[in-house]
Amino acid sequence: MRSELRAKLWMGLAYFVVLEALLVAAMLYWPQFAKNLEHLKSLIPLDVLRDMADKIEESGASAYVHAQHFFKGCNALGGLVAVIFAMNAVAGEAQRGTLEIWLARPLSRRRLLLERWFAGAFWVSVPILVSTATVPFLGSLVEESFDLWRLLLCAAHQSIFLLAIYSLTFLWSTASSNPLAIGFSMLLAAIAELSLYMIERLTHWSAFRLADVGVYQSIYDEGKLPWPITLSLAAVSIASVLIALRVFARRTP
Amino acid sequence: MNASTPTTGTLRASGLVRRFGTKTALAGVDLEAGPGGVIGLLGPNGSGKSTLLRILYGLVRPDAGSVELDGAPLEGDGLAIRQRASYAPGEIALYGELTGEKHLAFLLRGRGREALEKANSTARELGLPLERRVRGYSHGMKRQLLLSAALAPSVRVRILDEPSEGLDPAKRGEVLALLEREKAAGTTILLSSHHLGEIDRICDRLVFLHQGKKLADETRERVLERARRLVRVSFDAAPEERVLAGLPGVARLRLEGARAAIELESDDPREFLAALASERRLSAPRAIEYGALSLPDLLRELYGVEAL
Repeated sequence: MRSELRAKLWMGLAYFVVLEALLVAAMLYWPQFAKNLEHLKSLIPLDVLRDMADKIEESGASAYVHAQHFFKGCNALGGLVAVIFAMNAVAGEAQRGTLEIWLARPLSRRRLLLERWFAGAFWVSVPILVSTATVPFLGSLVEESFDLWRLLLCAAHQSIFLLAIYSLTFLWSTASSNPLAIGFSMLLAAIAELSLYMIERLTHWSAFRLADVGVYQSIYDEGKLPWPITLSLAAVSIASVLIALRVFARRTP
Repeated sequence: MNASTPTTGTLRASGLVRRFGTKTALAGVDLEAGPGGVIGLLGPNGSGKSTLLRILYGLVRPDAGSVELDGAPLEGDGLAIRQRASYAPGEIALYGELTGEKHLAFLLRGRGREALEKANSTARELGLPLERRVRGYSHGMKRQLLLSAALAPSVRVRILDEPSEGLDPAKRGEVLALLEREKAAGTTILLSSHHLGEIDRICDRLVFLHQGKKLADETRERVLERARRLVRVSFDAAPEERVLAGLPGVARLRLEGARAAIELESDDPREFLAALASERRLSAPRAIEYGALSLPDLLRELYGVEAL
């Protein structure tokens, strides 16, 4: 397990640093954003984005953090990292021919696969939790206060959302030998989902509706997870891992 | 069962069938090995050698048939088999970013500290620069690294796919010396190889595969004896098979146009050659080859299979 975690250490740290840098920049920009929000709203061409701006105007800095950190930073960057970690999990080994030596050790396939899944899941979710934990401090720099526990609930929901994407990609990787095909397909799917999100009449069909500003604002305001959504996302991950274990058990090196 | 628990090293496989799509890689192969001894798997590319070795090591599930290693059946993901045996793959693909030392640690995870120390010692004995990244290794060095790892665990069965492929003659000699040491220690070794010197020198038994089927399973002595009894005769025109087969001392005969491969009943060809010379229904032979033929010659003549 340690070696699996170490193998992803640098990419995981880089992901955290970029996520934190985006968060710091966003937080320091908050006072100017708040001052110019009215003008900015008039420049927004899409209704969906204007709704988001309305929520920020209504709820203040917390909605701004949800939009900048969770919806924009974590969904985009975290989604990318989740796909990269997962697409290479097994398909990457198969493509470079190392699947055989990976499997040839006296370790069960279940253990090998679960170790790899957990290591990727750790690096997908921990940077989100840690960077989110710095929000109260960054808020204090711009004279805003935040409830850490409620922010961490948002971060947990965000992690579970990304883990569903990670697990689905991981399942695909378990059955494939072409990580690039998986990566490009997931990228196209993400672009399609984001496009759906931006179209007023279709936005409710987008997966990003499960992790957008409205969802996070309700988690923050109510201090509890939206269980039907969160549990559904967790179920997607669990089902994906269970199917991946079945597929991997019969995988030929 | 601990990963490093020594076993007696018996391996039994029966009725192994494996298909990949429409291609049948193995079509009902039986094999028994051990305790002790070296078994060489021979066959042209695509004959099923690697698939057989992978199934025996629990890496590939057969579509039918069974494998048992010291009473442990091949079931589930083959973990019980992998704990009782070690393996060196035929295809070389390593993690280039790891040093030789770290790579050995990766390959031997789950085998214990003792195995790792032994692998490091073997690799140094072979002159491998373990502190260097594997991406700078030559093909032969990578092969030796895999072999160092496969010879390290305290197990009684070692499965080696082309262990000396890509090695220069000097290194091949060193590797064979290592395998002979293992053999002397009573380890059961299954290996596939294209190198005759290897087969002649260390194998006790030879198993010949072709198109997923076992064509022969004989002791080395028996194969060499058959090699000594083989006569190849070339005629100007195709001879009559019935006439040739009726000559004294002929045990088996294979005709290929104007060429005949004849396996005699004894080491002494004189009676056969005299009859051949005096047989008027046959044209005079253009060439006669006799003596200890090479193994590929022997297998080609006995089984009609080319491209070892």
